[in-house]
Amino acid sequence: MAESGIVFNIQRYTIHDGPGLRTELFLKGCPLHCRWCSNPEGLCRQPQVGVYRSKCIGRRACGACVQACPAGEEAFRFTVGKLAGIDRTLCTDCLACLEACPSDALKLWGQRMTVDQCMEIIRRDRGYYERSGGGVTVSGGDPLVQSDFVAALFAACRAEGIHTCCESTLCFAWPVVERLLPVTDLWISDLKMMDSARHRHYTGEGNALILRNLQTLASLGQELILRIPIIPGVNDDRANIEASAAFIRGQLGGRVRCLQLLSFMRLGTEKYKSLGMSYQMSDVRMNRRAFQRKVGLIAAYFNSQGIHCLVGTHEKD
Amino acid sequence: MGTTHTNASGTEPFDKNYCVGYQVHHEDWSPYPRINKLRQTFLDRGYDIDVERLRLVTESYQAHEGLPEKLKVAYAFENVLLHCGIYIYEDDLIVGDIAAPVKAAPIYPEFSVNWIIDEILHHPFEQREHDQFYIRTEAERQEILDLCAWWQGRTLDDYINARLDDDQLKGSEAGKKIYQTNLYHYAGTGHLAVDYARLMRLGFGGLAARAEEKLAALDMHDAHYNDKREFYQGMLIMLRAVSKYILRYAALAGEMAAAEADPARRTELEAIAANCRQVAAGTPQTFWQALQLFNFATMLICVESNGHSISYGRMDQWLYPYYAADREKNGLDKAFALELLEVEYVKLNNPTKLKDAGSMALRNGRGFGGESLTIGGVDRDGNDATNDLTMLMLEASAHTRMMNPWVCVRMHEGTPEELRVKAVECIRAGYGHPKLFNDAPAIRGMMRKGMSLEEARDYCVVGCVEISLPGREYGWHDAAYVNTPKMMEMVLNGGRCLDCGPHCPRWARCGAQGKQLGPDTGSLDRYASFDEVCRSVDAQFEYWTNQMCTSLCVIEDAHRARKPLPYVSALFEDCMESGRDLTEGGAKYNGIGPQASGMATCADSLAAIKQLVFDERRCTGAELLAAVKANWAGYEKLYALVNSSKVHHYGNDDDYADALFKFMFETYCKHIAGRKSPRGATFSPGVYSVNANVAMGLNTNASVDGRKKGEAISDNMGPVHTDAGSHDISGPTAIVNSLAKVDHSLATNGTLMNLRFPEDAVAGTEGRDNLVHFIEEYMHKGPMHVQFNIMSAATMRAAQKKPEDYKDMLVRVAGYSAYFVELGKPLQKDLIQRTELHF
Repeated sequence: MAESGIVFNIQRYTIHDGPGLRTELFLKGCPLHCRWCSNPEGLCRQPQVGVYRSKCIGRRACGACVQACPAGEEAFRFTVGKLAGIDRTLCTDCLACLEACPSDALKLWGQRMTVDQCMEIIRRDRGYYERSGGGVTVSGGDPLVQSDFVAALFAACRAEGIHTCCESTLCFAWPVVERLLPVTDLWISDLKMMDSARHRHYTGEGNALILRNLQTLASLGQELILRIPIIPGVNDDRANIEASAAFIRGQLGGRVRCLQLLSFMRLGTEKYKSLGMSYQMSDVRMNRRAFQRKVGLIAAYFNSQGIHCLVGTHEKD
Repeated sequence: MGTTHTNASGTEPFDKNYCVGYQVHHEDWSPYPRINKLRQTFLDRGYDIDVERLRLVTESYQAHEGLPEKLKVAYAFENVLLHCGIYIYEDDLIVGDIAAPVKAAPIYPEFSVNWIIDEILHHPFEQREHDQFYIRTEAERQEILDLCAWWQGRTLDDYINARLDDDQLKGSEAGKKIYQTNLYHYAGTGHLAVDYARLMRLGFGGLAARAEEKLAALDMHDAHYNDKREFYQGMLIMLRAVSKYILRYAALAGEMAAAEADPARRTELEAIAANCRQVAAGTPQTFWQALQLFNFATMLICVESNGHSISYGRMDQWLYPYYAADREKNGLDKAFALELLEVEYVKLNNPTKLKDAGSMALRNGRGFGGESLTIGGVDRDGNDATNDLTMLMLEASAHTRMMNPWVCVRMHEGTPEELRVKAVECIRAGYGHPKLFNDAPAIRGMMRKGMSLEEARDYCVVGCVEISLPGREYGWHDAAYVNTPKMMEMVLNGGRCLDCGPHCPRWARCGAQGKQLGPDTGSLDRYASFDEVCRSVDAQFEYWTNQMCTSLCVIEDAHRARKPLPYVSALFEDCMESGRDLTEGGAKYNGIGPQASGMATCADSLAAIKQLVFDERRCTGAELLAAVKANWAGYEKLYALVNSSKVHHYGNDDDYADALFKFMFETYCKHIAGRKSPRGATFSPGVYSVNANVAMGLNTNASVDGRKKGEAISDNMGPVHTDAGSHDISGPTAIVNSLAKVDHSLATNGTLMNLRFPEDAVAGTEGRDNLVHFIEEYMHKGPMHVQFNIMSAATMRAAQKKPEDYKDMLVRVAGYSAYFVELGKPLQKDLIQRTELHF
């Protein structure tokens, strides 16, 4: 199949995004820019070079990146002799530095792959899916940014009897979502917060489209796992939690397989750094214990409202 | 896949959760207070050296110097059994140890004494960095030295040293340690599982009666008449001594019962006395007596010889008739059966072995080691063999959580779900047991050794991962450890070590005057094609395996000449019937299994050479050779490159590198398999390193895979991890696919695979089920063995910082589990560096 997409990671044997043992493909591009995003390498649609200073063996011993770059020395920033960043305004994404680098100090986020190439990797773990009720999950970024590719990939999975799961923000016009319905077995999406203005403030977009798409999915009887990333001081207030519960019961008719609360973790700092991006959540201060307790109380509240709710993605012992 | 079920059950639900991972300050695990007490007593006791066996054996040898060897060993054994101190410990229900107090190591001077003298004088056992042993008094220290001095010139070690030539020695532990034959050069062989079913059927009395019949019926036309006569005479001396020894215990238990104030304990002691009286010569009438007979028979194997990996065969199978009959006839309570099993499990930890420093480096730990207990699998007709004892033996394991026994669950397509889940519940409790074996490739491997399908299905595991036929096979498993990366040095550098120079003590013999250590089969700066490299590997491996295998034939013959084993031979039907000792090839099947270490180090080295020098021409062979000779100093770019994801590495489901692993695996197996020994044994290759990869790495120069001098070589079948990072970066399914690209049944002496997951990866019911399914698919793909550490690097680092909180934390090292905090620092580091698999 000629259809191709830009994939920035393929994780084999994941257990968190969907049932059983799964292969998860992370696709480039996202309509939202959530401040707490832990996969910043997924935000931009195009391939990007990430810099991992700890893997750099030093300019004096090597310097291959500087020699290879058409923009020359100005494009690189070294601290204590090791590569610490790339000037993204000078970088043309020609990837010459990446090819020249002898170590893993420069990492390519995003690679064009055909459906066939993806399927070749997916098939290798097919036995695990069959035994565990697992399959394939696409995530990102938001995979619907590349919905043609996802449609083709899922059709190929379906043809081989492999379970498909799409993890999306659902911040798309309905037809984009709709065309995936025939090939998608399970949806995972977020209910980040109920107030649209705040949603726009923290993610760059309002939530009207998302809520409408969720309602439509639910009304069509689609399998849906809903998640709330609980971010301290952003969406963990009583009003938001109560509004969320009301929405799930009232508008989704309680038709979610489960609601998963994902506690905020300071994840991805390293990746932000590697991309020369600033991490906007680094100033969040919290007492981890008290916060965990609070998340537990929130889960208890949802359960009391008749919504099957977990802290994290799995039942605990 | 159809799921099968079983009615077999233990005392607990099959899916009982035993916690996930090591629990600091945990409560006792066993529901039986007796067991928790016995276990704690064991943990609190120190390790001693016991002089009594040395004293009694020497006394006997001095008195019988003119006799043939089979009688010398028999009288020595008798002298020990009739005169050693015997002890019955508080709370114990099963008695008998290895003719020494518990956790006290006897000395076996028949094998070797030079290292004992040397270590006492120059590197005292109590001052070792780990695996310390304590001599009780200064007088005993002197006594040991004096008695050992008498043995100099009379040992198995002396016999071997007189026969090995320089070509055989130069690659051995006495030379450059390309292969290490320490274990059976300095100590007994062991590595067997006797025919317990036959022992239970005949009892010691029945065995002696059969020996008498055979002796009386000997044919004087038989060319081996004298050998056989001595064999049966020796065996009879020993079997009669065994019965007397067991009656000594009966008497002691009786005396203790008479003096016991507590009526409950008195009843127990009376029962012990009655059990001993029954099994001294007779056959067991109850489950308890069967365990008592098992314990005596097994401990006595360790009195005769200090060979390790004395394994218990398919214990859930041979013990089951006694369990079932006792349940039916006497209403044996399942809970009491479990308590007895747990008593025996704790007891099996007592035998303690003093090893030479070299052997200790290959395998840390103060137990004998290798006591595998096999359960599950198929019966001789191919049907699932699970029974109540299968489940109870796992429960006993989860309740005791000690080094021994090394429980091994055989898995096949029809293994019932209840057993799969129970095994995984034990595994994720994080104490390192059980290990899992895959029936399909193991049975194919047994058939490669010439066994029928029915026999092959009856295999058990001996030691770490060696597949063996109980009571029929003397496999000499674990015969040597082969440092394949050291062989690769010869491939890279024209038959010389990479650091060849006048500083080397062997310089005059193999460096100077155009001489060299191995043959010149080419060097990295001269190879014109990758095919030439592969041919050189093949030629170099042939040369070194020739040296090693001929050395092993000398060592094997020394065991025949100096240390026949009539007692344990009585527990092998074919020895009894043929009149040939185990050391003379009396077993039905005979093998010798040396095992390769560092296969992935070699495979990744070849991948780097193939890709960088020949396919992509990113560097020359001369540059790579100069880089490893310089231990990578000044070659930082190359060092980073070979350790980066830009170079193909084994363990990532990458055919490029995996094909080279397969080439290494098959090259090694090819040069070992099928050779013959004087005993009539067939050489049988294994691919596992136990923890020898750490000691071997210390002694190996830098390698092309990106390893620096002194770092551990790759472990067992596992991928490479160097100080620069892990080479396997694609997750567990990719490792399994890489692993499954070789035919494991070629390694008839076993393969070993360690996988490590952090605790949270297997938490929750879903986490458990994911591990169950992962294992099912693993087995389906065809590797022979797998074992798990459910332990994060963080947990291990915490244990290094606060060892007092982690005193009984077991970690899976290789085929065995050991107390993490008791291991040497380099091995702890290797365990931490092994890739932690995430989801």
